[in-house]
Amino acid sequence: MVAYPSYMALSVVSGRIGGIGLEQFPAGLVRAVADSVSVVEGRRRNAPDTAELEDVRQSRQGDSGAYRRLIERHQEHVSGILWRFSRDRLVHEELVQDVFVEAYMSLRGYRGKAPFEHWLSRIATRVGYRYWKQTARRRETENFTLEEWDRVPDGSAEQMDPSEAASLVHRLLAQLRPRDRLVLTLRYLEGCDVAETARRTGWTRGMVKVQTLRAKKRLEKLIAKAGKGLE
Amino acid sequence: MMKNQSRFETLARLARSEAPPRVDVAGRVIAILSAEQVRLDRASDKPLMWLAAFSSAVAVPAAVLAIIVYNNWVGPLFELSQAIAWVTQ
Repeated sequence: MVAYPSYMALSVVSGRIGGIGLEQFPAGLVRAVADSVSVVEGRRRNAPDTAELEDVRQSRQGDSGAYRRLIERHQEHVSGILWRFSRDRLVHEELVQDVFVEAYMSLRGYRGKAPFEHWLSRIATRVGYRYWKQTARRRETENFTLEEWDRVPDGSAEQMDPSEAASLVHRLLAQLRPRDRLVLTLRYLEGCDVAETARRTGWTRGMVKVQTLRAKKRLEKLIAKAGKGLE
Repeated sequence: MMKNQSRFETLARLARSEAPPRVDVAGRVIAILSAEQVRLDRASDKPLMWLAAFSSAVAVPAAVLAIIVYNNWVGPLFELSQAIAWVTQ
């Protein structure tokens, strides 16, 4: 028999069972237990890991071994985020490095209320965005031709190589301003919802929605301007 | 319009499944942070070094002056004690 923690039992009793009739009891019970489990799981996902918090505490005191453990645990996640910002391997690696250096410098700002990974995601987004702004200032643009865009078969786009698709989207978005590029990258490439995008960028939810609409319009204009038009 | 948008969304969805390159930056980050720490330590030592130099610069003339004053101060007493010793012999 599975032993449930006491808080889960309390949640079932007080939250769900009260209003359910006897004939609905089994289905209601199952639903209530499932709901409670998902709530508890959600809380667990958003709660920082104890071992991780200990590593953060030790890192703050200058323990490089603890910080190394944190880096090793999260570098893959950070690498995934920054791969959306630069597909040049050298630049990408440098950006990942910058994120961890910057994170160490502002480690005192981490309060331990949310997972360390979420906190790192915000720093990674900031570092990536800064890189885009720098390249935009230097007017470095990536090559993109609409012929490539038109070569994508409408019916069988799903069969494209993910890497090829990512490269094409990356170069297309690189034609936009950093702000538009950021919101579209987070919403479509990272798959963040409005709340998560707002959290990562530090914008309000309303601003994220407006910015997404504007960025999409600009993207359409960009494609139209390049000659193909919008149907 | 819809065609471009749905094409973009399909490509973005596909791109999401792409695996990023593997990186291992732990060693380099720790090295950068250690170097930074050494730099900060040195920077924090500098004010102390200046303070030590300034203290020495003030202390040396003060010590010389103190010796001169001391000699002038104890000289007559020393002569007097010598005289007393001579008388009592």
